[in-house]
Formats: sequence, C-alpha cells, structure tokens
Amino acid sequence: MRINAGNLKKGDFIHYQNEIWQVQKAEFYSPGKGSALMKTKLWNVKSGKNIDVTFKSVEEVEVVDVESRLMTFLYKDNENLYFMDEKTFNQYPVLLSSVSGLEKYLKEGDKLYVYLYDERPLSVRAPLSVRLKVVEAEEAVKADTVSGAKKPVKLETGAVIMAPLFIKVGDVVIVNPETGEYTGREGK
Amino acid sequence: MKIVTKAENLENHKKYIFILQLIDDFLQKKDYQKIDLPVLSPSLIPESYLEVFETEFKFLDKKEKLYLTPSPELFLKRLLAYKIGNCYYLGKSFRNSDPPSSLHSFEFTMLEFYKVNADYMNIADEVLEMLRYINKKVKSKKLKVKSQNSGLRHLSHQGFRSQEGYGGQVKVKSDLGLKINLDKWEKISVAEAFEKYTGISEKELFNHQLFLEKAKKKGYQVEKFSYEDVWSQIYVQEIEPHLGKNGYPTLIYDYPKEFAALAKLNSDGQTAQRFEFYINGVELGDCYTELSDWKEQKDRFIKEYLERKQNKKINHPIDKGFIQALKYGFPESAGIAIGVERLAAVFLNLNSINELKVINIE
Repeated sequence: MRINAGNLKKGDFIHYQNEIWQVQKAEFYSPGKGSALMKTKLWNVKSGKNIDVTFKSVEEVEVVDVESRLMTFLYKDNENLYFMDEKTFNQYPVLLSSVSGLEKYLKEGDKLYVYLYDERPLSVRAPLSVRLKVVEAEEAVKADTVSGAKKPVKLETGAVIMAPLFIKVGDVVIVNPETGEYTGREGK
Repeated sequence: MKIVTKAENLENHKKYIFILQLIDDFLQKKDYQKIDLPVLSPSLIPESYLEVFETEFKFLDKKEKLYLTPSPELFLKRLLAYKIGNCYYLGKSFRNSDPPSSLHSFEFTMLEFYKVNADYMNIADEVLEMLRYINKKVKSKKLKVKSQNSGLRHLSHQGFRSQEGYGGQVKVKSDLGLKINLDKWEKISVAEAFEKYTGISEKELFNHQLFLEKAKKKGYQVEKFSYEDVWSQIYVQEIEPHLGKNGYPTLIYDYPKEFAALAKLNSDGQTAQRFEFYINGVELGDCYTELSDWKEQKDRFIKEYLERKQNKKINHPIDKGFIQALKYGFPESAGIAIGVERLAAVFLNLNSINELKVINIE
C-alpha cells in the first residue's frame, strides 16, 4: 500500500531502497522554504542500522503489509525478547533494539501483538497502556508543590517512573510504555 | 488536544524568562525601540509555505474575519516606513498546520528586529553580539538546578534507600550556555554548502532542470515535484545536519531567488540577500536585507497569493497597506526573525522547547 510520507507514524514498516525499515521517529517539519517535510528515523529490520531520512510530506512511500499475531511474552535475554504463538507453540525471538525500551514494562505471560513479515518477527506493537504494581515508593514528604509534584517509584518489572506523591507500595499504576509516563492509578 | 501542566519545568521556565529579559536588555541598550503589536489582523502578507489561523470578530449581526499573525513583519515594516528607526517585537506569533514537535509549536515566541541603513551582514554582526551577551549572562548566573532527575538516576542504579537530597534542590555548578566559540560565524554560502555537503555544483543548483536531474540520480523522487520542494528536501536531509556543528554558529547565506520571500536580490540576479543561522543543526533565525521596491514586492505578493489559492490554503486578504507603506518610502533596512524558545533551549542544553514550558497544549 502506498501512502503519503506525511501520514507515516512511529511503528510503521516501509520499503525504502529495496529494504524493510521500521519508522522509529516521524516528525513533520516546515522549514519555511518549500513545502512541508517529514523527518524520519528509520531502523533496518535486517541490519539494525538507523538512518535519518527526510521525505516530502506528499511523497508516496510503500508501506509493508505486516501480519500482527497475538503472542505470549516468555522471557528476555541480552539480545532478544522471546514470544510464543499459543496455537502452534512456535517461539519467536524479537530483537531488543526494535522495541525501543518497551521491555522495561513487560511481564512474563503478557499478551502482545508481534509483527511478522514472511513468518519473520520484526517487532512488537506497544500496548497503549500497561498496569504494573509499585514495589518501592518513598513516603510522601512535605515538599514545595513544584519539586514535590512527582516522585520516582519502582515497578514490579524493575522500571522506575515518575508518579504523583500519593502513590504507595502495592498500588497498581497505569503507564504509557512508549513514554514511560504515569497516566493513572487502578481503582481499588 | 489537552492542557498539560508541567510544574516540574518551572526551573527551566525561569531561565527562559531570564533569557527573554536579556534580549530586551541587549536590544534596548543598543537603542532599538520595543513595540507591542496586535496578534489579530484583518489582512496578512501572503506566504505560500505557511498556513494561518482564522477567527471571527462578531458584534450583533456584524462579522469580520481576523487572522492570527504568523509574524509581526507587516506591522513593523509599516512603522519603518513612518521612519521610527530601529525597532523590535518580542512576543507571540502563530502558524497553523504543523503538528507540535520538539522544535515547533503552532504558537511560539518570536523576536523580530529591524535595523535601518543596514544590510543582512550588519544584522549578522548584531546577532553574534547578542549571542555573546546572552551566553555570558547565562553562564555567570547562579542557578539552582533541581535534583529530581539526578535522584531518579540514583534510584535506578542503587535502589531507593541510599539516595540523598532526594526531592530537594541542590546548587550545582552551571553547565548552561553554549560550548561553541562565539568569536565569529562560520560563514558559508548556500552554493558552497551544496557543493560541499551534497556534491551539487553551483551550475546545477541554479538551473532547475539540471538540479532535478541530479536529485533524481541521488535517489530523490522528483516527478510531480517543484524545484523548491526537492531543493528543500535535500537541504534538510543533507545540509542542515552539518550546520552549527563545527565549533562555531553557522551563518548560511545567499539563497536562490526562489526563496527570496521579502528579501532584496543580489546583483547576480539569482540569489537573495537572506541568511539563516544555526547552532547544533537547529535553525534559529532567518534574516533579509529588506526588499524596498514596491513594484517587485507587489509582483511577489501576487505570485504567493496565487500559490496559496492553488494549494487550497486559507484565502486571507492581502495586506495592501503594506505595499502602500513601501510606496511611501521604505528605508534601506534589514531584519531578522528568531525563534526564542529554540534559542533558549539551545542555551540551556535542552532537547525540546517543551521542556521550557509549564503549561503546554499537546
């Protein structure tokens, strides 16, 4: 499928110079000289190489039709995240470098969509939010409202995020795994 | 979109406000008159590459369209025609259609200043002096830096209980200000930059057909695209990343006449007296020797107006009074527009203008 480069978004896969790349970053840019551009950072699914490519926003690019299949997260090592297709019991390694930090918010047994192209795992679709238990959090201290508005808390996966002062150990917080931002607390 | 409160950016915001003050101090010491201006106008300068915000004034059954100004240029130049002399505006400007990014917001703070009896290179001297002034003051200011981030780093490496000073404020040695040398500009003409960074010769650069052929060979899509579109793409892809990275701020000057906008042409007839300046790959300002020939200006306005129409942009009235002002007798002058949030982010070593804001619309 061909789309205008201006519609590219993070996570899309495209054909560019006869190879498959994932869009890691896409920023619209109007330099005020000539029409608008789309500045992208592309990640090569084969070599893992990153390149910066500027497209005209109305230039057509070929989007790769990838399959997304629901799989179970098993474990990770220094290079890969391992997922299992529950129907076939096949295991698929996904390069850590392709998930840009998402691994910090994953728990064993989580169900996620893995992107496949010709049965080859390319990357993982980041969920909009994850729910994780807080395992370490400092007691709220009376600080000035500005510096005290947020505090670091440690989650069950080991990730550390900034959360409001009222968050306590044992709370389940809702986090955007793409940005690491606290977005809410699960009601009790 | 939503309103996002980012009180945690207050310390950065304070430094940004300090930089705004430094700009006022510098320009006023140099006898530039600060001018406060409307941001809503019934007519605008037609610019084909940007979109504007449209709104409406309503009174009983009367309605009149108004537009948020994408730059204070139309007002300041009127005043220049009335011989008010060197002047500046430091305030909000608005540009529609571009989604917010680390370097852009549809509502932003712009510094625009004009110097009479001057050309673009005189402005370059003035800007460099201003950068030195801001740098010196920013570096010497005693600044409190919040420990929130260092606390976070501490936590992630060593666990919770061992950290000290968490949540409070600590005084640290300032690492603010520019690391580059501000003694001089790295000056490079657009033609030199194309030759050096893209391998496109001067001859190819100024000939549309040769330029597009060369671009195609380099792998760019050229079918259905104009010279300006492809030029801009190559400029951003291959030249911009090098600018302001050789130990000095870079001044890139003499753009092809297609990008003259409101700038005076050079005697070569193919370039305009326009420069942009960059620090660390980021474009911070855009300067012209102002075009004072009203006939030429009127022709360019019509061309831009028609392009806007063709590209289905908001059809705002052309500011005819601006042409009248030029007719009336516009002084030889040059002016520059600087994105102040970008400038502050560069001086404070921040990656995004959003880190300066305590309230942001996202």
